[in-house]
Amino acid sequence: MSDDHDHLPDVEDTPNDFEILEIAIRELSIAKGYFSAEDHRRFMEWAESISPAAGARMVARAWVDPEYKKRVLADGTAAAQEIGIDMTAPTGQGTPSDYIYLVVHENTPKVHNVIVCTLCSCYPRWVLGMEPAWYKSFNYRRRMVRWPRQVLAEFGTIIPDDVEVRVHDSNQKTRYMVLPMRPAGTEGWTEEQLAAIVTRDTMIGVAVPRVDSLVGQRP
Amino acid sequence: MRRFKVGDRVTVLDKPTLFHTRTQSYCRGRTGVIVALRPDDWVIPEDEAWGRVDGRRLPCYMIRFQQGDLWPDYRGPATDTVELEIFENWLEPAKEAAQ
Repeated sequence: MSDDHDHLPDVEDTPNDFEILEIAIRELSIAKGYFSAEDHRRFMEWAESISPAAGARMVARAWVDPEYKKRVLADGTAAAQEIGIDMTAPTGQGTPSDYIYLVVHENTPKVHNVIVCTLCSCYPRWVLGMEPAWYKSFNYRRRMVRWPRQVLAEFGTIIPDDVEVRVHDSNQKTRYMVLPMRPAGTEGWTEEQLAAIVTRDTMIGVAVPRVDSLVGQRP
Repeated sequence: MRRFKVGDRVTVLDKPTLFHTRTQSYCRGRTGVIVALRPDDWVIPEDEAWGRVDGRRLPCYMIRFQQGDLWPDYRGPATDTVELEIFENWLEPAKEAAQ
């Protein structure tokens, strides 16, 4: 017998109710001419191509330019615009699921910030791109507001007891990003060099930048 | 007119809800402190969820809760916090302050 090994069932997960609803509304919108199938494909292609590079540029610039840092902390939306990220497109208010109000929270020796959305998946897509799959998981969402230090430890991030862990639940309009602390050993680095150590997870707050951990670098 | 200001202690109402509110159950009945005001009044989720983009607009506040006030069995340092945004229709002056 050549075919005596087990096969995994060759089926994909069944779409859930919300996925079916999305498909129905999308197809209805296309049929009514609100947008074309090609518009939708191009939008998804664009949305899924946004990378966390924009957020990393904001962080790196804030590290070298104290005046820019003040503007980042005062108005994240305007500070993103300064580096060419227009969160207001295309409606002037972004889209309902990607609202334009960006608040950046600065990590300090006394406060470590981390973001979560207990409702579903609110995330600063304009500056960080699409959220990682775990960000939407029940596991992360339920536990981050309840046992944040344990969840952070699972990411390898141990926060000392004399540092406040401040969890930001993105339950309404605002989107959050973390401005991590600039690590020691980066004195004299250029903005470009600094941006290379600001990975996605450091701006979610589940990790901290390291001089030996570069964006795009694989172990 | 905003009913509250930064620094006010407020309690989240524990109202019965049928539909979409964005007021998470884990903060209902809990008391926290207002740490920021949002710049504009926004349409409340109860209306926006039905596509009523011209629905009721109310002030929205960022509120900081001590973990120990949300979860009585929280075992981390007493300084740990969670921040949530809550609309004014879900807030009342802190019950402890009224006593």
